[in-house]
Amino acid sequence: MGRPAHPDAMKSSRPSPTRMAPPQMPSEYPMGGRYRAYTLFDATGFVYLLVGLLGVRVVWALGDGPVAWAQLQSELQNPLYVGFHLLALLSVLFVGVRFFRLFPKAQPPRIGPAKPPPQPVILGGLYAAWLGVTLLMAAILSGGLL
Amino acid sequence: MSGSKKTFVITRFDPDRDEAPRQQSYEIEVDPRWKVLDALNHIKDEVDPSLSHRWSCRMAVCGSCGMMVDGKPSLTCKDSLADHGDTVEVAPLANFPVVRDLVVELEGFLDKLKQVKPWIIRAKERAVEEGTHRQSPAEHQEFKQFSMCINCMLCYSACPVVANEPDFLGPAAIALGHRYNLDSRDEGDHERQEVFRGEGSVFSCSYANECSEVCPKNVDPAAAVNQAKFRAVIDWATSFVVPRGGEG
Amino acid sequence: MLEIVEHDIVIVGGGGAGLRAAIAAVEADPAASVAMISKVYPMRSHTVSAEGGAAAVAREDDNFEMHGYDTVKGSDFLGDQDVIQYFVEQAPRELTRLEHWGCPWSRNEDGSVATRAFGGMSTKRTWYAADKVGFHMLHALFQHSLRFDRIVRYDEQFVTKLVVVDGAVRGVVALDVREGNMRLFLGRAVILTTGGAGKIFPFTTNGNIKTGDGMALAYREGVALKDMEFVQYHPTGLPGTGILITEGTRGEGAYLKNGRGERFLIEYDHGVGHKAELGPRDMISRAIIREMEAGRGVESEWGLVVHLDLTHIGEERIMSKLPMVRELCQIYVHVDPVHEPIPVRPVVHYMMGGVDVDIDGATSLPGLYAAGETACASLNGANRLGSNSLTECLVFGARAGQHAIAFAKGSSGANQSACQDIAEQESARIESLRARKGGSERIAGLRAEMHHSMETGCGVYREQDSMDDTVRKTTELRERYAALKLEDDSRVFNTELIAALELGNMLLVAEAVAVSASHRHESRGAHARRDQPTRDDQNFLYHTLCHWDSGGPRLDRKDVTLGKWEPEERKY
Repeated sequence: MGRPAHPDAMKSSRPSPTRMAPPQMPSEYPMGGRYRAYTLFDATGFVYLLVGLLGVRVVWALGDGPVAWAQLQSELQNPLYVGFHLLALLSVLFVGVRFFRLFPKAQPPRIGPAKPPPQPVILGGLYAAWLGVTLLMAAILSGGLL
Repeated sequence: MSGSKKTFVITRFDPDRDEAPRQQSYEIEVDPRWKVLDALNHIKDEVDPSLSHRWSCRMAVCGSCGMMVDGKPSLTCKDSLADHGDTVEVAPLANFPVVRDLVVELEGFLDKLKQVKPWIIRAKERAVEEGTHRQSPAEHQEFKQFSMCINCMLCYSACPVVANEPDFLGPAAIALGHRYNLDSRDEGDHERQEVFRGEGSVFSCSYANECSEVCPKNVDPAAAVNQAKFRAVIDWATSFVVPRGGEG
Repeated sequence: MLEIVEHDIVIVGGGGAGLRAAIAAVEADPAASVAMISKVYPMRSHTVSAEGGAAAVAREDDNFEMHGYDTVKGSDFLGDQDVIQYFVEQAPRELTRLEHWGCPWSRNEDGSVATRAFGGMSTKRTWYAADKVGFHMLHALFQHSLRFDRIVRYDEQFVTKLVVVDGAVRGVVALDVREGNMRLFLGRAVILTTGGAGKIFPFTTNGNIKTGDGMALAYREGVALKDMEFVQYHPTGLPGTGILITEGTRGEGAYLKNGRGERFLIEYDHGVGHKAELGPRDMISRAIIREMEAGRGVESEWGLVVHLDLTHIGEERIMSKLPMVRELCQIYVHVDPVHEPIPVRPVVHYMMGGVDVDIDGATSLPGLYAAGETACASLNGANRLGSNSLTECLVFGARAGQHAIAFAKGSSGANQSACQDIAEQESARIESLRARKGGSERIAGLRAEMHHSMETGCGVYREQDSMDDTVRKTTELRERYAALKLEDDSRVFNTELIAALELGNMLLVAEAVAVSASHRHESRGAHARRDQPTRDDQNFLYHTLCHWDSGGPRLDRKDVTLGKWEPEERKY
């Protein structure tokens, strides 16, 4: 049996004189079965928080001058940091693929008089845009455009 | 066909006798062609007449027999025994208060359904003498999928938001409201937007997509809820550009 | 403590006819208060399972005269022609209204409502929404009904008795399945819309809830059941489960084939002539049985079947017009009709008979109305044409609703204490049944014996001896029912108690079917006798009335309303 759900879940607005057993969550929630993908999807938020905090540290180190900057750079060579960045990459890929799987069907069949393009076109566009932005970012970060 | 034995572990609850739900096991001879519902009916008829469950059409269209089978929401008249092991766990739908054994409280859903105004709204009712509306096959196609909902409640029992947020309208009700918004005969879009923009409505959905995974009729309620979000945003944005007059 | 609720009218049943009646009543009188009591939530009602379509004149090449004649001929001239005339004229109006209420009818390219061919209909006049017509109609009606606050629903409440005081119906007594208590509903008119009684047979397309409750309620109060011998066998049910495969398959061009791969309706003379697969249901069901008896059936793991072949129709058309047929075949017989023929055999589908009502839906008991499959307004006579029944629910549901509310306005309130006395007695009866100890008869046991007997005596083909056996058997079972054993004495959602009450209803209806059948010494429509194979208008052109009288059934007769189309040989 699962964990209890909110005691008022799916409750009637009309009171019943008969006692009912409280609602239970699906037993697989949150880590079992298909829910795992959804839970992991939410959990990646924590990874992005850490990436963000690291970003703040990077800016901080830059402000502290060349010594602090060099020290941070050597620190980032640490396999733990490399591992963390791989995890961040995986998280982004996972979220990206899931997002691209679910996003196109959220398109209403029409907005006012305009009809959106067919789903494969939307999906292709999304992946192309993603690839484009990734390449652009890579180019900027590697100094190729500066 | 030769039978084989299976054990059914069924959640039982009688509010006058049981403090809390309990499990009871039944070992029975089954026909391998049976659905889960056939086994429950066999137990009811031949082993334990006190077992209570809902069922009627046994052809996956009346929506009565939704339950949790081996932890997953399932329409039991459609769910083959052959797809389950030697022990099958049957429990009432998750996320619902339990009335008795495998019977859950449906009144909450009916409250929610009524809130989305699931009927054709028109500024002026069409007279019979005017005949039917013209609706092209393409216009029909736009809402058709979302009109297939049989109200079986599997989506509610799969949804993590339903489990945590009692006011959430939920997948089926929103899909049905959205179905009318997409219908070329309907003019109630703005009325329903009020509902959709409110608390516990489309923006409560976290797009777990579980409703669509378990839907036995491929309605894809997650698509409906998120299309409704999209429309609500567009509607809100355009309201600044095109002020709304006396229409709707 | 008995709870008392009062409304202007009380509707028992929440399917197509009940919902339409409720809407008609509040439309006719917006101040009216309507109770709709159903033993299931309305969207579970068996209307939901109808597949193929609803008939109404829609095309240029069609007219009321043609629809009327087709229906009269389909009924084997036992339909009342004034009722049929009214029906065909109202049919397009009702289906149009349903279109206005959101029913997603399938469309032609120009945006008009599409129609398909159906058995016994001389042109395409069956409106459809793919092959889920009943489902869409029921949900459209139910969702539309939600906008009327004056329709007050009492879901999952089982009506056990009509309250009759001073010769008129004054309300009903019902068991609240969830709370386990009894409630008295006072109303100045009552409409029964509880559907048919297919579950008196073992092999039926009908859902578990179709137990003849409304028929039994009226019958117990002395209202006659009419033409109960006419039980429609649908030609194409899935073997094993009895799940319906719609006639719409044949409307879209499917073939029926025997074990030799022949289209037997064309190869042999089965009376359907050039109509072939689009012949009426009674004739095609008999043709299938004859093919099987001639050794031309198909052996299958479920016994003898014939084949319904859609393979030439093509995947695209099947997916657009018949998607549920494909889904049902894949789930329940593991056959994909795109590539393989579907195994089918005749299956009990519909009761032409029912509570005797006039064209307004009124019974002989003042204040009591009935509509839909529960009722017999004599639209369908001895054999119903496919797709007339969904329309019937609307046309006569609406009319019953309008007449019931008019009747209610004109009648005075009941003597409440007399009603209360009846309700108290009924409460005590149900309570004692629930708490009963001992008894020797099992519900499942009696039900199985009833099933076996009905299938043997009242099948597609009938004979005097086996019908007489079934009469004796059903009477015996009804008496043995008094010794029913119940094991569940719980209060909340006691489905064994409901099953016991339903069985009581079914046994009454089964006996009425058998008795009515055994007294019709001719073959007409769905009542086909091997020992009397021809129709006999001289002696049997009448409706059978079956009354409950001093503890048993008593038969009577009623004239058929003719006037427009004279009886003639029924040949296609």
